[in-house]
Amino acid sequence: MLSTVIKSSSTRLVHRSFASSAITRQAVPTEVKSLNKEFKIYRWNPDEPQKKPELQSYTINLNECGPMILDALIKIKNEVDPTLTFRRSCREGICGSCAMNINGQNTLACLCRIDRDENKDTKIYPLPHMYVVKDLVPDLTLFYKQYKSIEPYLQNDNPPAHGEFLQSQEDRKKLDGLYECILCACCSTSCPSYWWNQDEYLGPATLMQAYRWIADSRDGYEAHRKEKLQNEMSLYRCHTIFNCARTCPKGLNPAAAIAQIKLHLAAD
Amino acid sequence: MPPVHSGLQKEVFALYRRALRMVRTKPLSTRDKFRLFVHYNFKTQAVAVSPRSVSTVEHLIRRGQRQLETYESSSVTDCWVSQEMRDWRARERHA
Repeated sequence: MLSTVIKSSSTRLVHRSFASSAITRQAVPTEVKSLNKEFKIYRWNPDEPQKKPELQSYTINLNECGPMILDALIKIKNEVDPTLTFRRSCREGICGSCAMNINGQNTLACLCRIDRDENKDTKIYPLPHMYVVKDLVPDLTLFYKQYKSIEPYLQNDNPPAHGEFLQSQEDRKKLDGLYECILCACCSTSCPSYWWNQDEYLGPATLMQAYRWIADSRDGYEAHRKEKLQNEMSLYRCHTIFNCARTCPKGLNPAAAIAQIKLHLAAD
Repeated sequence: MPPVHSGLQKEVFALYRRALRMVRTKPLSTRDKFRLFVHYNFKTQAVAVSPRSVSTVEHLIRRGQRQLETYESSSVTDCWVSQEMRDWRARERHA
């Protein structure tokens, strides 16, 4: 009934406004086939600690969704299940909030494209070997504590008499590939050494930042910084597994930075 | 023979003792509230959670430790107690 009314009125409209063009020449919206993809997402609710964590399955139409995993997560949260919990902020890989384990690889959800193969599901877990706060949110307290322990700020007892610290272009180049780190914790949580010795081994992300300050020509506490790493656990638990370099969503190489620290310490 | 406790139970006891010590560092006027808060949280969970569900107990210990760290700060001088907690204490005293 309703459709016939709409149809008759629209034909009349068409007749009036496009009098000169034939109806067959007018653009018709093309039917886009829906592309349904299954996402299996780790769920755990701290309010019901007795319940075991489980994988919950969501199917969404990729043709009504952005290209990245984060778009899919936001779509699920908005339209399907508002209780799904995850961290996100910048949606362009500069904040490091949305780090999670997607199809077995630690990466940022906002930088990871959705595999458009309908037959394969995508599994999403929180960062491995971290305590879970809820669903995809890991507890990063220890990670930040470790970062704090390396004193990640400029320390120099002899500041220049006036103006800012000056640095040659070569010295500045030494910091490239180090300062870009956004501390998303993807590398640290992919490192088996870090899994087994989280309490004492600092982990690739923190060590790379430690090296960033050792390498800085403006910093005056190089000896002090090296002294703090000179023990069995903090640094030497790195066995050059290279998971950190493989997983880094920013394309950095923490393993190389750790190798540089080892070289500096060995040369002492 | 004294009761034999598992490592997990000992961890819970240690946390409980630490919490009770925290209560003693608080000003006299609010100490009662802190004590009720600690008692309520431990006793109700002890009834609600089976000692065999190890992962649950571990999670609660971790959560308790994090909470206690905040409460131990000297800048925390008062705490809020719900009517539910007061009712619970009244029931405990009658029982």
